[in-house]
Amino acid sequence: MFQLAWKQLQLDRWRTLLTAIALGSVIAVILILEGFEQGQYYQLEQLVLNRKADLIATQSGVTNFIAVRSSIPQLSREEVESVEGIINAHPITSLPIIYNKNNIRTPVYVLVYDTWGGPSSIIKGENIKQSNDIVIDISLAKKYDLKIGDKFFVTDFEFRISGFTKEAAFMMPLAFISYDGMLDLFLESEIAPDLSTFPLLSYMLLEIDPAFDHKKIQQQIEARAPFVDIFTPSQIAERDKNMGKTFYAPIIGLLVSVGYIIGMLVVGLIMYSDIRSRIKSFAILKALGFPFKKLFHAVIFQSLFLLLLAIPTGAILAQSFAIFIHDAFPIYLFQIFYPNVFFQSMLASLIFAFIGAMIPLRSIHRTDPLLAFQGE
Amino acid sequence: MQRGHLLGSAFGIASAFILVIFFDSVWRGESVQVVAYPDNMKPDIWVMQSGVGNMHMAMSFIWDWKAKRIEKIEGVKKVTPILYTSSIITVNNKEMFAFIVGLLPGAQRAGPWEMAAGRQIKNSGEVLIPDVLSKIGNIKIGDSLQIIDQDFTVTGLTKGTFSSANTVLFVPFSNLDDILSSSGTYSYLLVDAEEGIDAKKLSRKIKNDVDKINALTHEEFIANDLAMAKQMGVEIIVMMTIICSVLAALIVGFTSYSLIMRKRKELAIIKALGVSNRTVLYSVTIQSIIITLLGFILATAFAIFIIPTLPQLIPQLTVLVSITAILQLGLIAIIVSIVGALIPAYMVLRLDPATAFHV
Repeated sequence: MFQLAWKQLQLDRWRTLLTAIALGSVIAVILILEGFEQGQYYQLEQLVLNRKADLIATQSGVTNFIAVRSSIPQLSREEVESVEGIINAHPITSLPIIYNKNNIRTPVYVLVYDTWGGPSSIIKGENIKQSNDIVIDISLAKKYDLKIGDKFFVTDFEFRISGFTKEAAFMMPLAFISYDGMLDLFLESEIAPDLSTFPLLSYMLLEIDPAFDHKKIQQQIEARAPFVDIFTPSQIAERDKNMGKTFYAPIIGLLVSVGYIIGMLVVGLIMYSDIRSRIKSFAILKALGFPFKKLFHAVIFQSLFLLLLAIPTGAILAQSFAIFIHDAFPIYLFQIFYPNVFFQSMLASLIFAFIGAMIPLRSIHRTDPLLAFQGE
Repeated sequence: MQRGHLLGSAFGIASAFILVIFFDSVWRGESVQVVAYPDNMKPDIWVMQSGVGNMHMAMSFIWDWKAKRIEKIEGVKKVTPILYTSSIITVNNKEMFAFIVGLLPGAQRAGPWEMAAGRQIKNSGEVLIPDVLSKIGNIKIGDSLQIIDQDFTVTGLTKGTFSSANTVLFVPFSNLDDILSSSGTYSYLLVDAEEGIDAKKLSRKIKNDVDKINALTHEEFIANDLAMAKQMGVEIIVMMTIICSVLAALIVGFTSYSLIMRKRKELAIIKALGVSNRTVLYSVTIQSIIITLLGFILATAFAIFIIPTLPQLIPQLTVLVSITAILQLGLIAIIVSIVGALIPAYMVLRLDPATAFHV
């Protein structure tokens, strides 16, 4: 039956090719949706992990790095740094802004840093050197056709683009400025009664002496500085990812389900059409005494072969799409080959292909062996 | 003879189109829901920090005395200040993204436009949440949730305030002021004009008279927010439409190809009888158009009758089916059907009429 299934696919190569591409496209759609979701989670995690801290101090009650306002009293920095084992508490402030140029608005997540927590890499230009320098995500540069040295206005304050990085999260490009830049922005803008209205210190990136135990230090800080909570970067990354899941999972999950149903229908349609066109061959096999079980196996093998051809086709299509989109719109990251999800998708595709292959079985079951002896 | 086959193909094509329509509906639904709060408030003018021109994901601070100054400007009837921030809330140990509006005592003008249950906030530490959040978060009136490090008790459920990207909660001004440490400032001012006053002119006057603020008419403000929401993710929608259309074209091609392969002897006879290639090609293309249109009609029916009911099953979904988007997809469907006919057409052209006389 294995051979029969294989021969059937070889009989009409055009048809097999079309089928593999159609099934591959369905798999590609599923992988792209899953890859988009995983890409979003990856970016959320990397936002924290790229800051390269040993521990992170947040405002008491704040457990995330994105989509939340954290404001730590300035005095807390001294309290934290007084704990034995802390080499430095590097300040970082997050500032969500809406960038507007030519009436096209984009939310941008600005990170204000001093010594640690700056851009993870500079892909073009250079890092911040002057107070009005800004490093922006490449997606923002592409969207607005911005170049190194161009002006970048935040409210009314003029920054100068010194470099491009490749960091985005929650569908928002990131930008980096220095504390001097932030103070100039606040002071020159004169938009609030006093500076304390704005979060001047959102997080502290803690640099710990390797000889000290992180857990003990965490406890000591929380006892000494009541206005802060201490987390490991991976703890915050996990929470940001979970927050992302409550946002993306229901919608992407539904879209992926629709994708699987399409896959099932495509397999069913292909197998049904194939069996209908070979109904006489099946009648001959039945007349020769082949039991239904054997014919059933042949159909299943055939759909499995098709799927084996379709999986690499789908994976190549999805990866090509991911590369193209990420290149054109760097804000979207797709993680097509995220191991767990990839194999889960393949397994689900297999199950749906199997269900799809069942659709035409009734036709075989009902085929009269006498059909084999009828003329054209 | 081919009914099962045609129906199967039509369902396959319909599914590919449904995926596109569904994706588009979710995106449109979320985009429109993003402006639900400002759109329902409908002041004549919105006043905010200079350089800010919208509300979604924006941060705005203006001095409180500026509200008093605006109140005195001729033509201004009422000024209602609000505090506003985006934050993560914790509902039954689950973290969610939300927008929080701080209301001054008695400022119902800026509060929820429809209550589903319970009462308005009166005291410190109270919160109004969307009815959908109550359902999916399993949180009822009297239960508590956390915003940063503060606990709030739910006193009422509001309608029309939920979306995955923009869940709106209402808390007392003083509580949000405390969370933001923003004493002496407001985020936005909702300005109502006297009857007969031109909002555009008044907004210009406010902008000229008060330093470091931005004033926009309600329509301009909403347009800014909507434009920003709609351009987020638009590239994904376009690419998904392309992929699903390719998929639909492949299914059309596969179906037409299968039919032609099965009927090649009959087609060879037709060609042997002197019918031109062009006529046969027309019939192949029409067949392909019919299959695609059938799929498109099924997808449209699903979009109109089923998609709008999905939020009842999945409350966190906000969908908006756009007829314009469906019509655009209709145009794509025609292209799909022609592209889908290419391979079968090639097969027809290659078909030797002599095949008809093979024994």
